[in-house]
Amino acid sequence: MLKVEKLNSGYGKLKVLYDLDIEVPTKGITVIVGPNGAGKTTLLCSIMGINNIFSGNIIYDNEPVVGLLTHELARKGISYAPQMGNVFADLTVLDNLMMSGYMLPKEEAKDKSTELTDIFPVLKKFINRKAGTLSGGERRMLAIAMGLMKNPKLMLLDELSTDLAPIIAEKVMMEIARLNKELGITVLMVEQMAKRALEIGDTAYLLVSGETRYSGKADDLLHEPELCSMYLGIKPSDKKGKAFEIADQEGRE
Amino acid sequence: MAPWMASGLVYASGIALCAGSITLLYMSTRTFNFAAASLATIGFYVVYTGIQSLGGVPYYYYPFSFIVGALLGVICYYGLNRPLLKRGAVEITLMMSTLGYDLILLSFVQMYADYLTSAYKWFPRRVTLNHIDLDFQIFGARPSATLLPLIAIACLIILHLFLTRTKFGISMRATIENPILAGASGINSDRVYLVAWVIGGGMCSLGGAFIAQAQTGHPFMGATIIPLMFAGAILGGLHNLYGGILGGLVIGMTEYAGVFYLSQQFGPWVQGYRMGIPLLVMAITLIAFPRGLSGIPLKKYLDRMVDRKRGVSA
Repeated sequence: MLKVEKLNSGYGKLKVLYDLDIEVPTKGITVIVGPNGAGKTTLLCSIMGINNIFSGNIIYDNEPVVGLLTHELARKGISYAPQMGNVFADLTVLDNLMMSGYMLPKEEAKDKSTELTDIFPVLKKFINRKAGTLSGGERRMLAIAMGLMKNPKLMLLDELSTDLAPIIAEKVMMEIARLNKELGITVLMVEQMAKRALEIGDTAYLLVSGETRYSGKADDLLHEPELCSMYLGIKPSDKKGKAFEIADQEGRE
Repeated sequence: MAPWMASGLVYASGIALCAGSITLLYMSTRTFNFAAASLATIGFYVVYTGIQSLGGVPYYYYPFSFIVGALLGVICYYGLNRPLLKRGAVEITLMMSTLGYDLILLSFVQMYADYLTSAYKWFPRRVTLNHIDLDFQIFGARPSATLLPLIAIACLIILHLFLTRTKFGISMRATIENPILAGASGINSDRVYLVAWVIGGGMCSLGGAFIAQAQTGHPFMGATIIPLMFAGAILGGLHNLYGGILGGLVIGMTEYAGVFYLSQQFGPWVQGYRMGIPLLVMAITLIAFPRGLSGIPLKKYLDRMVDRKRGVSA
Protein backbone atom coordinates (compact mmCIF):
# COMPACT_ATOMS: atom_id res chain seq x y z
CA MET A 1 0.00 0.00 0.00
CA LEU A 2 2.72 2.49 1.03
CA LYS A 3 6.45 2.36 0.53
CA VAL A 4 8.97 4.86 1.87
CA GLU A 5 12.36 4.56 0.21
CA LYS A 6 15.60 6.18 1.36
CA LEU A 7 13.70 9.12 2.81
CA ASN A 8 15.63 12.12 4.07
CA SER A 9 13.32 14.80 5.45
CA GLY A 10 12.92 17.38 8.19
CA TYR A 11 11.82 20.89 9.04
CA GLY A 12 13.30 23.87 7.19
CA LYS A 13 16.98 23.03 6.78
CA LEU A 14 17.00 20.66 9.74
CA LYS A 15 17.24 17.01 8.75
CA VAL A 16 15.38 14.60 11.03
CA LEU A 17 15.03 11.37 9.04
CA TYR A 18 18.04 9.63 7.46
CA ASP A 19 17.65 7.16 4.58
CA LEU A 20 14.50 5.70 6.05
CA ASP A 21 12.87 2.65 4.46
CA ILE A 22 9.37 1.65 5.53
CA GLU A 23 6.78 -0.58 3.97
CA VAL A 24 3.13 -0.59 5.00
CA PRO A 25 1.33 -3.76 3.89
CA THR A 26 -2.29 -3.52 2.71
CA LYS A 27 -4.99 -4.12 5.35
CA GLY A 28 -2.45 -4.46 8.15
CA ILE A 29 -1.57 -2.35 11.16
CA THR A 30 1.96 -1.00 10.99
CA VAL A 31 3.28 0.51 14.19
CA ILE A 32 6.13 3.00 14.42
CA VAL A 33 7.62 3.17 17.89
CA GLY A 34 10.64 4.86 19.35
CA PRO A 35 11.82 7.31 21.98
CA ASN A 36 11.11 11.05 21.94
CA GLY A 37 12.72 12.87 19.04
CA ALA A 38 13.12 9.70 16.98
CA GLY A 39 11.32 11.26 14.00
CA LYS A 40 8.03 9.34 14.24
CA THR A 41 5.79 12.36 13.73
CA THR A 42 8.19 13.72 11.09
CA LEU A 43 7.67 10.52 9.11
CA LEU A 44 3.89 10.98 9.07
CA CYS A 45 4.26 14.69 8.24
CA SER A 46 6.58 13.77 5.35
CA ILE A 47 4.07 11.29 3.98
CA MET A 48 1.35 13.97 4.20
CA GLY A 49 3.49 16.58 2.41
CA ILE A 50 3.65 18.87 5.43
CA ASN A 51 7.42 19.17 5.90
CA ASN A 52 10.51 19.31 3.70
CA ILE A 53 11.65 16.23 1.81
CA PHE A 54 15.33 16.46 0.86
CA SER A 55 15.58 13.17 -1.01
CA GLY A 56 13.98 9.76 -1.28
CA ASN A 57 10.71 8.44 -2.51
CA ILE A 58 7.23 7.80 -1.16
CA ILE A 59 5.09 5.44 -3.19
CA TYR A 60 1.39 5.09 -2.43
CA ASP A 61 -0.77 2.70 -4.41
CA ASN A 62 2.09 2.21 -6.91
CA GLU A 63 2.32 5.96 -7.53
CA PRO A 64 5.03 8.39 -6.35
CA VAL A 65 3.44 11.05 -4.12
CA VAL A 66 6.39 13.24 -3.13
CA GLY A 67 5.56 16.85 -3.97
CA LEU A 68 1.80 16.46 -3.72
CA LEU A 69 0.00 18.87 -1.40
CA THR A 70 -1.75 17.66 1.75
CA HIS A 71 -5.27 18.08 0.36
CA GLU A 72 -4.28 16.21 -2.81
CA LEU A 73 -3.04 13.27 -0.73
CA ALA A 74 -6.26 13.35 1.28
CA ARG A 75 -8.20 13.12 -1.97
CA LYS A 76 -6.21 10.03 -2.89
CA GLY A 77 -7.58 8.23 0.17
CA ILE A 78 -5.01 8.92 2.90
CA SER A 79 -6.44 10.18 6.15
CA TYR A 80 -4.29 11.71 8.84
CA ALA A 81 -5.03 12.36 12.51
CA PRO A 82 -2.27 14.55 13.97
CA GLN A 83 -1.12 14.16 17.56
CA MET A 84 -2.15 17.68 18.57
CA GLY A 85 -4.97 19.69 17.08
CA ASN A 86 -6.69 16.65 15.61
CA VAL A 87 -10.17 18.20 15.77
CA PHE A 88 -11.51 21.66 14.87
CA ALA A 89 -12.15 22.95 18.39
CA ASP A 90 -14.36 25.87 17.28
CA LEU A 91 -16.66 23.72 15.15
CA THR A 92 -19.40 21.42 16.39
CA VAL A 93 -18.90 17.65 16.33
CA LEU A 94 -21.23 17.45 13.31
CA ASP A 95 -19.35 20.22 11.45
CA ASN A 96 -16.07 18.43 12.24
CA LEU A 97 -17.41 15.27 10.63
CA MET A 98 -18.86 17.15 7.67
CA MET A 99 -15.57 18.97 7.11
CA SER A 100 -13.70 15.68 7.13
CA GLY A 101 -16.10 14.49 4.46
CA TYR A 102 -15.43 17.67 2.48
CA MET A 103 -14.75 15.74 -0.71
CA LEU A 104 -17.95 13.72 -0.49
CA PRO A 105 -21.31 14.90 -1.90
CA LYS A 106 -23.45 16.51 0.83
CA GLU A 107 -25.96 13.67 1.13
CA GLU A 108 -23.26 11.03 1.23
CA ALA A 109 -21.39 13.00 3.91
CA LYS A 110 -24.58 13.21 5.99
CA ASP A 111 -25.20 9.47 5.70
CA LYS A 112 -21.60 8.72 6.54
CA SER A 113 -21.68 10.97 9.63
CA THR A 114 -24.85 9.19 10.83
CA GLU A 115 -23.16 5.84 10.25
CA LEU A 116 -20.10 6.94 12.23
CA THR A 117 -22.10 8.30 15.13
CA ASP A 118 -23.69 4.86 15.30
CA ILE A 119 -20.21 3.32 15.50
CA PHE A 120 -19.11 5.91 18.09
CA PRO A 121 -22.27 6.50 20.20
CA VAL A 122 -20.46 8.97 22.44
CA LEU A 123 -20.32 11.39 19.49
CA LYS A 124 -24.06 11.17 18.89
CA LYS A 125 -24.63 12.51 22.39
CA PHE A 126 -22.52 15.60 21.72
CA ILE A 127 -23.30 16.07 18.03
CA ASN A 128 -24.11 19.80 18.33
CA ARG A 129 -21.46 20.59 20.92
CA LYS A 130 -18.22 22.35 20.02
CA ALA A 131 -15.40 19.83 19.73
CA GLY A 132 -13.25 21.99 22.03
CA THR A 133 -15.55 21.10 24.93
CA LEU A 134 -15.06 17.32 24.57
CA SER A 135 -12.84 15.30 26.90
CA GLY A 136 -9.51 13.90 25.69
CA GLY A 137 -10.93 10.43 24.99
CA GLU A 138 -13.97 11.83 23.19
CA ARG A 139 -11.73 14.00 21.04
CA ARG A 140 -9.64 10.98 20.02
CA MET A 141 -12.82 9.11 19.09
CA LEU A 142 -13.90 12.12 17.04
CA ALA A 143 -10.45 12.26 15.40
CA ILE A 144 -10.74 8.60 14.38
CA ALA A 145 -14.31 9.12 13.15
CA MET A 146 -13.10 12.14 11.15
CA GLY A 147 -10.43 9.97 9.61
CA LEU A 148 -13.05 7.42 8.62
CA MET A 149 -15.39 9.99 7.04
CA LYS A 150 -13.33 10.01 3.87
CA ASN A 151 -13.62 6.23 3.36
CA PRO A 152 -9.83 6.08 3.53
CA LYS A 153 -7.65 3.34 2.16
CA LEU A 154 -4.85 4.30 4.54
CA MET A 155 -5.09 5.91 7.98
CA LEU A 156 -2.13 7.67 9.54
CA LEU A 157 -2.60 7.99 13.30
CA ASP A 158 -0.16 10.06 15.33
CA GLU A 159 0.04 9.16 19.02
CA LEU A 160 -3.67 9.01 19.60
CA SER A 161 -3.17 7.76 23.15
CA THR A 162 -1.17 10.80 24.30
CA ASP A 163 -2.53 12.43 27.48
CA LEU A 164 -5.24 9.80 27.85
CA ALA A 165 -5.98 7.82 30.99
CA PRO A 166 -4.69 4.24 30.52
CA ILE A 167 -8.19 2.79 30.38
CA ILE A 168 -9.28 5.29 27.70
CA ALA A 169 -6.05 4.77 25.74
CA GLU A 170 -6.75 1.04 25.75
CA LYS A 171 -10.28 1.68 24.49
CA VAL A 172 -8.91 3.81 21.65
CA MET A 173 -6.43 1.03 20.70
CA MET A 174 -9.20 -1.54 20.74
CA GLU A 175 -11.27 0.66 18.48
CA ILE A 176 -8.40 0.94 15.99
CA ALA A 177 -7.90 -2.84 16.00
CA ARG A 178 -11.64 -3.38 15.52
CA LEU A 179 -11.87 -0.90 12.61
CA ASN A 180 -8.89 -2.52 10.93
CA LYS A 181 -10.46 -5.95 11.25
CA GLU A 182 -14.02 -4.98 10.34
CA LEU A 183 -13.43 -2.37 7.62
CA GLY A 184 -10.10 -3.67 6.35
CA ILE A 185 -8.47 -0.23 6.54
CA THR A 186 -4.70 -0.13 6.37
CA VAL A 187 -3.31 1.64 9.44
CA LEU A 188 0.05 3.27 9.98
CA MET A 189 0.24 4.41 13.57
CA VAL A 190 2.88 6.17 15.58
CA GLU A 191 2.80 5.43 19.29
CA GLN A 192 4.77 6.23 22.39
CA MET A 193 2.76 3.75 24.46
CA ALA A 194 4.71 1.11 22.63
CA LYS A 195 3.51 -2.04 24.40
CA ARG A 196 -0.15 -1.43 23.76
CA ALA A 197 0.46 -0.49 20.12
CA LEU A 198 2.69 -3.49 19.43
CA GLU A 199 0.02 -5.74 20.87
CA ILE A 200 -2.46 -4.73 18.16
CA GLY A 201 0.07 -4.21 15.34
CA ASP A 202 1.13 -6.64 12.61
CA THR A 203 4.35 -4.97 11.47
CA ALA A 204 6.58 -2.72 13.54
CA TYR A 205 9.45 -0.32 13.03
CA LEU A 206 11.61 1.02 15.81
CA LEU A 207 12.99 4.46 15.00
CA VAL A 208 15.92 5.94 16.88
CA SER A 209 17.39 9.34 15.95
CA GLY A 210 15.80 9.25 12.52
CA GLU A 211 17.05 5.78 11.59
CA THR A 212 15.48 2.32 11.67
CA ARG A 213 16.76 0.06 14.44
CA TYR A 214 14.22 -2.69 13.99
CA SER A 215 11.80 -3.77 11.31
CA GLY A 216 9.72 -6.90 11.36
CA LYS A 217 6.75 -8.45 13.09
CA ALA A 218 5.28 -6.34 15.88
CA ASP A 219 5.00 -9.32 18.18
CA ASP A 220 8.67 -10.16 17.70
CA LEU A 221 9.78 -6.70 18.80
CA LEU A 222 8.12 -7.36 22.15
CA HIS A 223 10.53 -10.27 22.54
CA GLU A 224 13.65 -8.20 21.92
CA PRO A 225 14.76 -7.55 25.52
CA GLU A 226 17.55 -5.14 24.67
CA LEU A 227 15.56 -2.92 22.29
CA CYS A 228 12.46 -3.00 24.48
CA SER A 229 14.21 -1.91 27.63
CA MET A 230 16.66 0.51 26.00
CA TYR A 231 14.34 2.43 23.70
CA LEU A 232 10.77 1.66 24.69
CA GLY A 233 10.98 1.42 28.45
CA ILE A 234 8.97 -1.80 28.54
CA LYS A 235 9.63 -5.29 29.80
CA PRO A 236 9.66 -7.88 27.04
CA SER A 237 6.56 -10.08 27.18
CA ASP A 238 5.77 -13.54 25.98
CA LYS A 239 2.05 -13.14 25.97
CA LYS A 240 -0.51 -11.21 23.93
CA GLY A 241 -1.81 -8.17 25.80
CA LYS A 242 -5.28 -7.43 27.01
CA ALA A 243 -6.18 -5.02 24.20
CA PHE A 244 -5.34 -7.60 21.58
CA GLU A 245 -7.36 -10.30 23.29
CA ILE A 246 -10.40 -8.05 23.63
CA ALA A 247 -10.12 -6.90 20.01
CA ASP A 248 -9.89 -10.55 18.92
CA GLN A 249 -12.91 -11.41 20.98
CA GLU A 250 -14.95 -8.51 19.58
CA GLY A 251 -13.90 -9.46 16.08
CA ARG A 252 -15.21 -12.98 16.63
CA GLU A 253 -18.50 -11.67 18.01
CA MET B 1 -29.79 63.09 15.22
CA ALA B 2 -26.95 65.46 16.06
CA PRO B 3 -24.63 66.24 13.10
CA TRP B 4 -21.55 64.83 14.92
CA MET B 5 -23.43 61.59 15.52
CA ALA B 6 -24.52 61.33 11.89
CA SER B 7 -20.95 61.84 10.66
CA GLY B 8 -19.64 59.56 13.41
CA LEU B 9 -21.93 56.70 12.37
CA VAL B 10 -20.91 57.01 8.72
CA TYR B 11 -17.22 57.17 9.62
CA ALA B 12 -17.44 54.36 12.20
CA SER B 13 -19.18 52.09 9.67
CA GLY B 14 -16.27 52.62 7.26
CA ILE B 15 -13.62 52.01 9.93
CA ALA B 16 -15.54 48.89 11.06
CA LEU B 17 -15.43 47.38 7.56
CA CYS B 18 -11.72 48.16 7.21
CA ALA B 19 -10.93 46.75 10.68
CA GLY B 20 -12.98 43.64 9.87
CA SER B 21 -10.99 43.22 6.66
CA ILE B 22 -7.66 43.51 8.52
CA THR B 23 -8.85 40.95 11.11
CA LEU B 24 -10.06 38.48 8.47
CA LEU B 25 -6.78 38.58 6.58
CA TYR B 26 -4.73 38.30 9.75
CA MET B 27 -6.76 35.34 10.99
CA SER B 28 -6.60 33.48 7.69
CA THR B 29 -3.16 34.28 6.27
CA ARG B 30 -1.26 35.72 9.29
CA THR B 31 -0.84 38.91 7.26
CA PHE B 32 -1.23 42.40 8.70
CA ASN B 33 -2.48 44.10 5.57
CA PHE B 34 -0.94 47.56 5.31
CA ALA B 35 -2.33 47.83 1.80
CA ALA B 36 -5.69 48.44 3.53
CA ALA B 37 -4.75 52.13 3.40
CA SER B 38 -4.62 52.37 -0.39
CA LEU B 39 -7.45 49.90 -0.87
CA ALA B 40 -9.67 52.26 1.14
CA THR B 41 -8.49 55.25 -0.91
CA ILE B 42 -9.16 53.39 -4.16
CA GLY B 43 -12.66 52.51 -2.91
CA PHE B 44 -13.32 56.20 -2.50
CA TYR B 45 -11.93 57.05 -5.97
CA VAL B 46 -14.16 54.43 -7.60
CA VAL B 47 -17.21 56.16 -6.10
CA TYR B 48 -15.86 59.61 -6.96
CA THR B 49 -15.18 58.62 -10.58
CA GLY B 50 -18.67 57.16 -10.90
CA ILE B 51 -20.39 60.25 -9.54
CA GLN B 52 -18.28 62.65 -11.62
CA SER B 53 -18.75 60.77 -14.86
CA LEU B 54 -22.24 59.30 -14.57
CA GLY B 55 -23.86 61.28 -11.77
CA GLY B 56 -26.15 59.86 -9.09
CA VAL B 57 -25.44 59.15 -5.43
CA PRO B 58 -22.55 57.18 -3.88
CA TYR B 59 -24.76 54.13 -3.11
CA TYR B 60 -24.89 53.24 -6.81
CA TYR B 61 -21.15 52.76 -6.95
CA TYR B 62 -20.56 50.77 -3.75
CA PRO B 63 -20.77 47.38 -5.53
CA PHE B 64 -18.12 48.55 -8.02
CA SER B 65 -15.99 49.77 -5.16
CA PHE B 66 -16.22 46.31 -3.57
CA ILE B 67 -15.37 44.57 -6.86
CA VAL B 68 -12.32 46.74 -7.54
CA GLY B 69 -11.08 46.15 -3.96
CA ALA B 70 -11.63 42.41 -4.34
CA LEU B 71 -9.65 42.36 -7.62
CA LEU B 72 -6.78 44.24 -6.00
CA GLY B 73 -6.93 41.72 -3.13
CA VAL B 74 -6.60 38.88 -5.65
CA ILE B 75 -3.56 40.58 -7.25
CA CYS B 76 -1.97 41.01 -3.81
CA TYR B 77 -2.60 37.34 -2.97
CA TYR B 78 -1.24 35.87 -6.19
CA GLY B 79 1.55 38.41 -6.62
CA LEU B 80 2.89 38.56 -3.07
CA ASN B 81 1.10 36.75 -0.31
CA ARG B 82 0.82 33.28 -1.86
CA PRO B 83 4.46 32.93 -2.95
CA LEU B 84 5.60 34.14 0.47
CA LEU B 85 3.22 31.82 2.36
CA LYS B 86 4.45 28.89 0.26
CA ARG B 87 8.01 29.67 1.26
CA GLY B 88 7.02 29.79 4.94
CA ALA B 89 7.61 33.53 5.33
CA VAL B 90 7.32 34.90 8.85
CA GLU B 91 4.66 37.45 9.84
CA ILE B 92 6.95 40.47 9.59
CA THR B 93 7.87 39.58 5.99
CA LEU B 94 4.23 39.12 5.08
CA MET B 95 3.40 42.47 6.66
CA MET B 96 6.24 44.34 4.95
CA SER B 97 5.25 42.89 1.59
CA THR B 98 1.81 44.47 1.94
CA LEU B 99 3.48 47.78 2.80
CA GLY B 100 5.33 47.55 -0.52
CA TYR B 101 2.07 46.78 -2.30
CA ASP B 102 0.47 49.75 -0.55
CA LEU B 103 3.20 52.08 -1.85
CA ILE B 104 2.69 50.78 -5.40
CA LEU B 105 -1.07 51.34 -5.12
CA LEU B 106 -0.50 54.80 -3.64
CA SER B 107 1.65 55.70 -6.65
CA PHE B 108 -1.13 54.57 -8.98
CA VAL B 109 -3.66 56.62 -7.00
CA GLN B 110 -1.43 59.70 -7.37
CA MET B 111 -1.06 59.13 -11.10
CA TYR B 112 -4.79 58.59 -11.43
CA ALA B 113 -5.53 61.83 -9.55
CA ASP B 114 -3.13 63.71 -11.82
CA TYR B 115 -4.70 62.13 -14.88
CA LEU B 116 -8.20 63.17 -13.80
CA THR B 117 -6.97 66.71 -13.21
CA SER B 118 -5.20 67.08 -16.55
CA ALA B 119 -7.65 65.17 -18.74
CA TYR B 120 -11.02 66.18 -17.24
CA LYS B 121 -10.20 69.29 -15.19
CA TRP B 122 -11.68 67.68 -12.05
CA PHE B 123 -10.32 68.34 -8.55
CA PRO B 124 -9.66 64.83 -7.22
CA ARG B 125 -7.12 65.89 -4.58
CA ARG B 126 -9.71 67.43 -2.27
CA VAL B 127 -13.16 65.91 -2.52
CA THR B 128 -16.18 66.15 -0.28
CA LEU B 129 -18.94 63.67 -0.97
CA ASN B 130 -21.04 64.16 2.18
CA HIS B 131 -23.39 66.61 0.48
CA ILE B 132 -24.26 64.08 -2.26
CA ASP B 133 -27.00 61.94 -0.81
CA LEU B 134 -30.58 60.80 -1.33
CA ASP B 135 -33.17 63.54 -1.19
CA PHE B 136 -34.81 62.80 2.17
CA GLN B 137 -33.95 62.56 5.84
CA ILE B 138 -33.98 59.68 8.30
CA PHE B 139 -34.21 60.56 12.02
CA GLY B 140 -33.67 64.21 11.08
CA ALA B 141 -30.29 63.52 9.51
CA ARG B 142 -28.91 62.71 6.06
CA PRO B 143 -29.85 59.15 4.99
CA SER B 144 -26.22 57.94 4.89
CA ALA B 145 -26.09 58.21 8.71
CA THR B 146 -28.63 55.39 8.89
CA LEU B 147 -28.08 53.58 5.59
CA LEU B 148 -24.32 53.11 5.84
CA PRO B 149 -24.41 51.48 9.30
CA LEU B 150 -27.25 49.31 7.96
CA ILE B 151 -25.15 48.32 4.93
CA ALA B 152 -22.24 47.53 7.28
CA ILE B 153 -24.55 45.39 9.45
CA ALA B 154 -25.93 43.68 6.32
CA CYS B 155 -22.34 42.89 5.24
CA LEU B 156 -21.69 41.43 8.69
CA ILE B 157 -24.85 39.29 8.57
CA ILE B 158 -24.05 38.03 5.07
CA LEU B 159 -20.51 37.22 6.18
CA HIS B 160 -21.83 35.48 9.29
CA LEU B 161 -24.26 33.37 7.26
CA PHE B 162 -21.52 32.57 4.76
CA LEU B 163 -19.14 31.43 7.51
CA THR B 164 -21.67 29.42 9.49
CA ARG B 165 -24.16 28.06 6.94
CA THR B 166 -22.21 27.30 3.78
CA LYS B 167 -19.83 24.40 3.26
CA PHE B 168 -17.12 26.68 1.92
CA GLY B 169 -17.61 29.15 4.79
CA ILE B 170 -17.25 26.40 7.39
CA SER B 171 -14.20 25.09 5.56
CA MET B 172 -12.80 28.62 5.76
CA ARG B 173 -13.25 28.64 9.55
CA ALA B 174 -11.70 25.18 9.71
CA THR B 175 -8.67 26.31 7.69
CA ILE B 176 -8.26 29.43 9.79
CA GLU B 177 -8.27 27.31 12.96
CA ASN B 178 -6.10 24.42 11.81
CA PRO B 179 -4.63 24.58 8.28
CA ILE B 180 -2.86 21.18 8.55
CA LEU B 181 -5.96 19.31 9.65
CA ALA B 182 -8.01 21.16 7.04
CA GLY B 183 -5.56 20.05 4.35
CA ALA B 184 -5.73 16.48 5.67
CA SER B 185 -9.53 16.74 5.34
CA GLY B 186 -9.13 17.54 1.65
CA ILE B 187 -9.74 21.29 1.94
CA ASN B 188 -7.65 23.33 -0.48
CA SER B 189 -6.27 26.07 1.77
CA ASP B 190 -5.06 27.99 -1.28
CA ARG B 191 -8.66 28.60 -2.36
CA VAL B 192 -9.64 29.58 1.18
CA TYR B 193 -6.89 32.21 1.36
CA LEU B 194 -7.88 33.55 -2.05
CA VAL B 195 -11.49 34.00 -0.93
CA ALA B 196 -10.25 35.70 2.25
CA TRP B 197 -8.37 38.22 0.08
CA VAL B 198 -11.42 38.73 -2.15
CA ILE B 199 -13.65 39.46 0.85
CA GLY B 200 -10.94 41.40 2.70
CA GLY B 201 -10.03 43.57 -0.29
CA GLY B 202 -13.68 44.26 -1.09
CA MET B 203 -14.59 45.14 2.50
CA CYS B 204 -11.66 47.51 2.83
CA SER B 205 -12.44 49.29 -0.41
CA LEU B 206 -16.11 49.62 0.56
CA GLY B 207 -15.04 50.95 3.97
CA GLY B 208 -12.95 53.63 2.26
CA ALA B 209 -15.93 54.63 0.12
CA PHE B 210 -17.99 55.01 3.35
CA ILE B 211 -15.32 57.08 5.10
CA ALA B 212 -15.25 59.57 2.21
CA GLN B 213 -18.91 60.30 3.07
CA ALA B 214 -17.77 61.71 6.42
CA GLN B 215 -14.33 63.15 5.68
CA THR B 216 -12.54 64.90 2.86
CA GLY B 217 -11.28 62.44 0.27
CA HIS B 218 -7.69 62.76 -1.02
CA PRO B 219 -4.95 60.41 -2.24
CA PHE B 220 -3.51 60.07 1.30
CA MET B 221 -6.88 59.48 2.93
CA GLY B 222 -6.15 55.80 3.62
CA ALA B 223 -2.67 56.52 4.95
CA THR B 224 -4.17 59.03 7.41
CA ILE B 225 -6.72 56.65 8.85
CA ILE B 226 -4.84 53.35 8.77
CA PRO B 227 -3.75 53.61 12.44
CA LEU B 228 -7.43 53.66 13.35
CA MET B 229 -8.21 50.65 11.17
CA PHE B 230 -5.50 48.69 12.97
CA ALA B 231 -6.64 50.08 16.32
CA GLY B 232 -10.13 48.73 15.57
CA ALA B 233 -8.76 45.29 14.64
CA ILE B 234 -6.55 45.15 17.74
CA LEU B 235 -9.34 46.39 20.00
CA GLY B 236 -11.51 43.60 18.61
CA GLY B 237 -8.98 41.01 19.65
CA LEU B 238 -7.41 40.18 16.25
CA HIS B 239 -8.69 36.61 16.33
CA ASN B 240 -12.37 37.33 16.04
CA LEU B 241 -13.92 38.76 12.90
CA TYR B 242 -16.99 40.11 14.68
CA GLY B 243 -14.73 41.56 17.38
CA GLY B 244 -12.74 43.37 14.67
CA ILE B 245 -15.85 44.94 13.18
CA LEU B 246 -17.13 45.92 16.63
CA GLY B 247 -13.69 47.32 17.48
CA GLY B 248 -13.74 49.47 14.34
CA LEU B 249 -17.19 50.74 15.20
CA VAL B 250 -16.11 51.67 18.74
CA ILE B 251 -12.92 53.37 17.50
CA GLY B 252 -14.82 55.39 14.88
CA MET B 253 -17.59 56.50 17.23
CA THR B 254 -15.28 57.39 20.13
CA GLU B 255 -13.28 59.65 17.82
CA TYR B 256 -16.34 61.70 16.88
CA ALA B 257 -18.00 61.56 20.30
CA GLY B 258 -14.73 62.32 22.08
CA VAL B 259 -13.92 65.31 19.89
CA PHE B 260 -17.45 66.67 20.25
CA TYR B 261 -17.57 66.46 24.05
CA LEU B 262 -13.97 67.41 24.76
CA SER B 263 -14.01 70.42 22.41
CA GLN B 264 -17.11 71.66 24.25
CA GLN B 265 -15.28 71.31 27.56
CA PHE B 266 -11.79 72.48 26.61
CA GLY B 267 -12.12 74.36 23.34
CA PRO B 268 -11.55 73.65 19.66
CA TRP B 269 -7.80 72.92 20.09
CA VAL B 270 -8.84 69.37 21.02
CA GLN B 271 -9.51 68.79 17.28
CA GLY B 272 -5.77 68.56 16.69
CA TYR B 273 -5.57 65.49 18.92
CA ARG B 274 -8.66 63.74 17.58
CA MET B 275 -6.86 60.51 16.67
CA GLY B 276 -5.43 60.26 20.18
CA ILE B 277 -8.88 59.81 21.73
CA PRO B 278 -9.79 56.43 20.18
CA LEU B 279 -6.21 55.21 20.59
CA LEU B 280 -6.41 56.07 24.29
CA VAL B 281 -9.70 54.17 24.53
CA MET B 282 -8.01 51.21 22.84
CA ALA B 283 -5.06 51.29 25.26
CA ILE B 284 -7.31 51.47 28.34
CA THR B 285 -9.55 48.66 27.06
CA LEU B 286 -6.55 46.44 26.33
CA ILE B 287 -5.10 47.05 29.80
CA ALA B 288 -8.42 45.94 31.30
CA PHE B 289 -9.07 43.17 28.76
CA PRO B 290 -5.81 42.06 27.10
CA ARG B 291 -7.67 39.89 24.60
CA GLY B 292 -9.68 42.86 23.34
CA LEU B 293 -13.44 43.24 23.08
CA SER B 294 -13.93 39.64 21.96
CA GLY B 295 -12.16 38.51 25.13
CA ILE B 296 -14.59 40.25 27.48
CA PRO B 297 -16.40 37.49 29.38
CA LEU B 298 -19.85 38.99 28.78
CA LYS B 299 -21.66 35.79 29.74
CA LYS B 300 -19.90 35.69 33.08
CA TYR B 301 -20.87 39.30 33.82
CA LEU B 302 -24.47 38.71 32.74
CA ASP B 303 -24.71 35.58 34.90
CA ARG B 304 -23.28 37.54 37.83
CA MET B 305 -25.85 40.32 37.27
CA VAL B 306 -28.68 37.80 37.12
CA ASP B 307 -27.43 36.12 40.31
CA ARG B 308 -27.21 39.49 42.05
CA LYS B 309 -30.77 40.37 41.00
CA ARG B 310 -32.03 37.03 42.21
CA GLY B 311 -30.20 37.56 45.50
CA VAL B 312 -31.85 41.00 45.90
CA SER B 313 -35.35 39.71 45.10
CA ALA B 314 -34.86 36.70 47.41
